[in-house]
Amino acid sequence: MNILEMRGISKAFNGVEVLKNVDLTIEEGEIHTILGENGAGKSTLMNILTGVVPMDRGRIIFRGQPIERPTVPLTEKLGIAFVHQELNLFPTMKVYENLFLTKEPTHRLGALKKREMIARSRAFLEALGVEIDPNALVSELRMGQKQLLEIAKALFFEAKLLILDEPTTALNNEEIDRLFAILRRLRDGGTSFIFISHKMPEIFALSDRYTVLRNGAFIAQGRVAETDAEALARLMVGPAYTGADVYRRRTLGGEALSLDRLSGPGFRDVSLTVRKGEILALTGLQGSGSSELMQAVFGALPVERGSISVGGKALAGRGIHAAMKAGIAMLPANRKENSVVPDMTILENTYLSEHTLSARRPHISRRAEQKKFDALKKTLNIKAESSANPVLSLSGGNQQKVFLARWLNTGGDILFLDNPTQGIDVGSKAEIYQLILSLAESGKTILINTLEIGEIQKVADRCAVFYDGRLIKLLPHEAIDEHTVMMYSTNAVETMEA
Amino acid sequence: MNDNKRSPLKTLSRIWSGYSFVFIFAAIFAAYVIVNSSLTWVGVTNILRHSAVIGITALGMGLVVITGQIDLSVGSMLAFVGGFAVMVFNVTNSILLTCLTAVVCGGLCGLVNGVLVGKAKMPAFIVTLATMLIFRSLTRYICHEIPATISGGSNSLFKLLSANSMFKPFYNFGNSKVFTLPVTGLFLIALTALIVYVTTSTKFGKQLYAVGSNERAARLTGIDVDGRRVAVFVITGVLTGVSAFLWISMNASVDPATTGGSYEMYAIAAVVLGGISMAGGRGKCVGILFGIMSYTIIDKIIVALKMNTLLNDTVKGAILIVAIIVQTMSPVVKEHFAARRARRQGA
Repeated sequence: MNILEMRGISKAFNGVEVLKNVDLTIEEGEIHTILGENGAGKSTLMNILTGVVPMDRGRIIFRGQPIERPTVPLTEKLGIAFVHQELNLFPTMKVYENLFLTKEPTHRLGALKKREMIARSRAFLEALGVEIDPNALVSELRMGQKQLLEIAKALFFEAKLLILDEPTTALNNEEIDRLFAILRRLRDGGTSFIFISHKMPEIFALSDRYTVLRNGAFIAQGRVAETDAEALARLMVGPAYTGADVYRRRTLGGEALSLDRLSGPGFRDVSLTVRKGEILALTGLQGSGSSELMQAVFGALPVERGSISVGGKALAGRGIHAAMKAGIAMLPANRKENSVVPDMTILENTYLSEHTLSARRPHISRRAEQKKFDALKKTLNIKAESSANPVLSLSGGNQQKVFLARWLNTGGDILFLDNPTQGIDVGSKAEIYQLILSLAESGKTILINTLEIGEIQKVADRCAVFYDGRLIKLLPHEAIDEHTVMMYSTNAVETMEA
Repeated sequence: MNDNKRSPLKTLSRIWSGYSFVFIFAAIFAAYVIVNSSLTWVGVTNILRHSAVIGITALGMGLVVITGQIDLSVGSMLAFVGGFAVMVFNVTNSILLTCLTAVVCGGLCGLVNGVLVGKAKMPAFIVTLATMLIFRSLTRYICHEIPATISGGSNSLFKLLSANSMFKPFYNFGNSKVFTLPVTGLFLIALTALIVYVTTSTKFGKQLYAVGSNERAARLTGIDVDGRRVAVFVITGVLTGVSAFLWISMNASVDPATTGGSYEMYAIAAVVLGGISMAGGRGKCVGILFGIMSYTIIDKIIVALKMNTLLNDTVKGAILIVAIIVQTMSPVVKEHFAARRARRQGA
């Protein structure tokens, strides 16, 4: 019997269709995985189901009842719960307070019935098989316990259908096993789950059926037992996409950067050598450790073990400044948080990094800075009326070029680009690819971390695929295609070999 | 944002939002001229003289606020450093050593604040609240315990020993004039010019704005954020030391209980009146000079009107509120009109 039917769901944002006639059926007492690349429409579909976003067209039937206009309070009341990736718990409050929040039983004068709440929490958590003390502070719980508490909270409000958005991202293997055991038991008891995950081994270990979305469209649905990881990866990616016409083969120089068994937060035992003038793409799904690796080499995150050498020489000292002196530059991900200095002008934003290297000459010569900016503006084709305008007056693509200029200005030979085309329109993206290639031609060594495989095909000489903190495959340019990369980054390869 | 039409109204609004402190100062100065029937040049230059001590302290506060922090300890520090400097003068009879003591001692006090905030990552509000209490209490304790031959006054007052041969030159220096301008006021103007130069035309200065504007991004551009934090507190300490030195040269004494009382609040108020954002990253240091002079003039207006001086802070507080309303309202008002225009176009 179906607990949920979504039929012909369509949604457009600003005229761009993000969901086209999508169908989704969930049976009672099943774990159903939704698969799709970043931007396939998974989260929009879930947001429509929970009432966060209104749909343009389509029907939703939940437990036999049509939901005409879903809203968050309504879907919650009906028993649909969204367990988000970033947990919605109150860390400074106790476990039982989190469970009962807004639904606390009270005495007549409004005093809380604490003893009753604690007792009911304990009984409920025990029945669930979750070992959490109701009196503990949430901030003192382990990550896995928090995840379980979040799920318990949904069940406590008698949720019938839980949406789990990558629930294992922050968990270790033991915690994952315990979580899965509880989920299976709940499923056998009749609760349904929508499971969103990129990790093939987990999908095959846990779920009963799957639905694949691609570019906002329904692609396939079926039983997990009747398919394999490769088939799923192919469904997610679709007919192999090749648009690698900007790529040009170049002659590479000697060793520029070498990592030896480097370990740090989120990655371990990474060994890698990059040659001068090479473009190396790092990729992997969210949490694979490729971004953390970049940040650690740049000195923004600590290195736990292993060594880094630049141009054959061991990196002297630690920290961002040491890396910059060795000629490493990093354009970080999340432009707004990590790059934009919002109160400053375009010119000021451009010269900040270089000034930390030339701090011995404290005076700023406006004319010299403007001259340098004009040269960079021409190279990068920055569209800005005046360098004295606030940086926020520029479009996303032009802002990103300003930050690229910030790092080219330092004269660094090794450029790290962490997700450089995030939130940038298609035209600027193409420009940035061209730029990356011509920078490499001029002798810069470039490491680019990105989740977009099409992007990697366009620029990269080699592609390093990360899974779960380890570098699991180095692909040469010819071997880079969406299907292969997806196979490695979901670790479908290991699943098939096993 | 996108239309680049330069209407005179827009230019005016830009000048207003960037230099509102000049308009506020001009308005208060005009009020001073009106209430003061017998305006003299000496009266006007006295504004500078009476702004000097608090103004130089406020310059440091400005730098701290630009990096997104606050320093509540400057008032107590002024008394602490001042008391120390008085004792050094009484013992050594040297103006130079007195000045050095004040500056070094101020710098060390600032270093304590800076290390606790910048390196130990404690909240500046708490750290400087604590050092505010500590500096004040230590000043009073030392004054109480030290023999009167060193403190120069009583067990509740530090006083320059007038028996010292350098007493007269020192006191005369603090109250002297150059080209009819009080020398202490010249200190204020020179240091303001220095701080304005540092914040507008040096790499160090721009990094302070970057730290206050987006700390994460500043760190990732390679700026030593912690080091900059320490630096602004040390500079504030040094400037407070200069203030303390000027204070004793003008007054020849330091009262451990009252000297520098509430100065941290006046300094913050002057910084805010000068258009520096408490959120950090924005504002011009020249505004501090105008902010502090505005407050000095208010004192003088109240005296001229023969009002009860106990009302001083009422007026200062009220003017601060009005100034902030004017500064922060302009975007709100703009938005209101933009929304109204949009509604009208939609209809």
